[in-house]
Amino acid sequence: MRVFCFFMLLLGLFAKAHAKDNVVNIYNWSSYISSDILKEFTKETGIKVNYATYDSNETLYAKLKANPHTGYDVIVPSTYFVDRMRQQGMLRPLDKSRLSNFKNLNPTLLNKSYDPGNHYSIPYFWTLTAIAVNSKIHSPQQLKNWADFWNPHYRNQLLLLDDVHEVFSMALMVLGYSANDTDPEHIRKAYLKLKQLMPNVRLFNNDGVKSLFIDEDLSIGMAWNGDIYQAAQENPALRFLYPKEGFVISIDSMAIPKDALHVNNAYVFINFILRPDIAKKLSLATGYPTPNLAAYRLMPKAILNNAMIYPDAKTLQRGVVQTDVGSAETVYQHYWELLKIGA
Amino acid sequence: MKSDRLFKGTTISMVWCWLFLFALLPSVLVLIMSFLQNDPTDLFRWKFSLQNYQALANPIYFKVFWHSFYIAGLCSVICLVLSYPFAYVLARLDSKYKSLLLFLVIIPFWTSSLIRTYAIISILKVKGLLNTVLLSLGIIQHPLTILYSSTAVIIGLVYSLLPFMILPLYVNIEKLETQYIDAARDLGANTLTTFLRVILPLTLPGIMGGIILVFLPAMSMFYIPDILGGAKSLLVGNLIQNEFLAAHNWPLGSAVSMVLTLAMGLLLLLYRRANKIGPYYDESIGEI
Amino acid sequence: MNRLAKFSYLAAIYCFLYFPIILLIIYSFNHSIYSLLWHGFTLDWYKQLGDDSDLIVVTLHSLEVGVLAASLATLIGTIAATCLYRYRFFGKHLLHGLLFVLIVSPDIVMGISLLILFFLLNMRLGFWSLLLSHITFCIPFVAVTVYSRLTGLDKNIFEAARDLGASDLISFRRIIIPMLWPAILAGWLLSFTLSLDDVIISFFVTGPDFQILPLYIYSLVRIGLKPELNALCSVMFVITLLIVVIFQLILPKKVNQ
Repeated sequence: MRVFCFFMLLLGLFAKAHAKDNVVNIYNWSSYISSDILKEFTKETGIKVNYATYDSNETLYAKLKANPHTGYDVIVPSTYFVDRMRQQGMLRPLDKSRLSNFKNLNPTLLNKSYDPGNHYSIPYFWTLTAIAVNSKIHSPQQLKNWADFWNPHYRNQLLLLDDVHEVFSMALMVLGYSANDTDPEHIRKAYLKLKQLMPNVRLFNNDGVKSLFIDEDLSIGMAWNGDIYQAAQENPALRFLYPKEGFVISIDSMAIPKDALHVNNAYVFINFILRPDIAKKLSLATGYPTPNLAAYRLMPKAILNNAMIYPDAKTLQRGVVQTDVGSAETVYQHYWELLKIGA
Repeated sequence: MKSDRLFKGTTISMVWCWLFLFALLPSVLVLIMSFLQNDPTDLFRWKFSLQNYQALANPIYFKVFWHSFYIAGLCSVICLVLSYPFAYVLARLDSKYKSLLLFLVIIPFWTSSLIRTYAIISILKVKGLLNTVLLSLGIIQHPLTILYSSTAVIIGLVYSLLPFMILPLYVNIEKLETQYIDAARDLGANTLTTFLRVILPLTLPGIMGGIILVFLPAMSMFYIPDILGGAKSLLVGNLIQNEFLAAHNWPLGSAVSMVLTLAMGLLLLLYRRANKIGPYYDESIGEI
Repeated sequence: MNRLAKFSYLAAIYCFLYFPIILLIIYSFNHSIYSLLWHGFTLDWYKQLGDDSDLIVVTLHSLEVGVLAASLATLIGTIAATCLYRYRFFGKHLLHGLLFVLIVSPDIVMGISLLILFFLLNMRLGFWSLLLSHITFCIPFVAVTVYSRLTGLDKNIFEAARDLGASDLISFRRIIIPMLWPAILAGWLLSFTLSLDDVIISFFVTGPDFQILPLYIYSLVRIGLKPELNALCSVMFVITLLIVVIFQLILPKKVNQ
């Protein structure tokens, strides 16, 4: 038994002995890339990719904050996290001259308040949060606004995203306030409004939403467009509706942490992703909308016309990009906890 | 003997070194953190403050603790009731396949618990296996909505923690001397009395071990209650998770963790006081 | 209690434990990506699994850490339990307390505090930080299991051994270990299980070049579990089952004391 252990230990040591230098360490959401693209990258550039994944912005942030020397070269935080990390000096300013493909990006998604001038982040995917409904079970005609969720008809049927900002943004928009409101009084009113919604809520969930809608365990709720688009491939009765009050847009962006080990390789990788053909492959493989305009133009017509992924310009005007709420964060978290505790 | 002192010294130092570095130091870090002030940008400020503990004195947090306590407690009791007969029969089995059967208990748990939980979801769903079978047999008329309720959470927790009750019970019962049971029988005790007066007290260390390994983790588990319960309520585990991750309030998260540790420690001490038994050093014996 | 009742109860519990696994195996042949209902038979996911060398590497990493962590934790945990049982020493109650704290501590608290510790020690994150952390959280589970068996031992044996001139080391190796063998094995099994499945602590203490299976699975949950994973779990399950059964049936049985 002991001999076996020592043998394994030696094996382990040997395996770790040889360090790889021509590497890039990517830290991303899982399934936000296909392994084919990674293989193509390595084939073209000779740089090996270490691809690690996380499941939420919060865990990414906590890890980087607790130990800045994590060794990741490229990370993919969402909008307001880019804002927060940028303000706290956790990100490296980007030298755009090293990103020749930057021009391919859609200008309407650039230069937002979470990162003016995009000095720290490059958009990777963007998602929308709106109303998902199974048209066989509920009539889409009755779901023009977020406010329709409060209808007692939907008792114990709603899915809400398990994210404080998505849920509170919805309530704030219903009350006519900004989705990124920082006024504690407004946030409190949003909390009271949400308390009234709780009897209608069946569950809070971000994950596994697709299977719940496909198998019709759920028939109504708030969801991300990519999820519903993919679910609709297996259950054509699903619809995605954009409420009149507005909806939240979230942009996931590539960024380089301050203490990245392989900065050159990070730039090579980011520039690679920005190539139109790669961005197009990425979007088709994962089902999420691409922020790359050049890639967008290469997409099949059927997808371009699908309002689930790419709503028309008029609808898009009602969309609001998430931003960091600064010190109001503690207020949001406090009411979120109260909402969940059921006080 | 001199070699004895060397042996004793080496073994104790070895254990102490490891636990000092990887258990004591991190715990001290958490303790210190719980007395610091929260800072929105930098996670914490180097300033002593009791505000975290003061914030926890709020009755709403008591509700969270009580809810977790109830769920963990219920889970432990169900695990115990299910496991005890199983461990008893298995431990006293006179078969050469005994250790194989023990292995068979734990092998299912080498698959990812997350995937197993999703398998449970697929059983409990509205169109899932359970409902399909019950509906087709005519036992129920409408599908049961067990999913996203406390029942589903308990089922999930019991399923995940069962081997942690079975194994400690098994290793303890296996050492039970048949002669005690025989003696009791000879003295005229019936099965129930034998069980209550002889078997139960002798297997109490095993029961305590099992309860510790089930109740304590159950108190701080959060993703099974989230996935199966619909994340509609906050348990202590979720609260701590929330404070550390979403709320960026590491000091408060640390404080909740310390309160949890103290509460559990208190319970264990009370139990020990009340019974003077359990996996603790028996002072009367001295060194052996 | 008659034999039928006994065996029925055993069988019932085994069914309870194995039912989700059987379901998992069935679903690995399910012709659907995200749905959890049956849509027809397919071998696609097994083909995908064979092509996915990354997933296989990740699984091997997990197994490597699992075996090493379980073995070392069993060693340290057994020694810890024995010391706590036999000896009086300075800081004994603190040691008890530390083991207790390790079990009670929520994963996230342990993960973050260990991460900070590694930062303070200026240690790079990767295989070693992961292994050390895994060993640490497994130790108390071994200690509790072994201890619960120790308290059932006949204390006169130690006296007898000492009277016959055995040193502590000899009595440890020749008497205690054999008598504790089931508990040590149980402790190893529990530790291996914990290590294979740990997500939160591993997330915080692992480095970019050492990815493990539970993290991979957990982060996939966001998007929807790939059915390829069902295939992987089925394969792992069948292989471990075969290894264990063959091991137990073919090897000569150890005589019970």
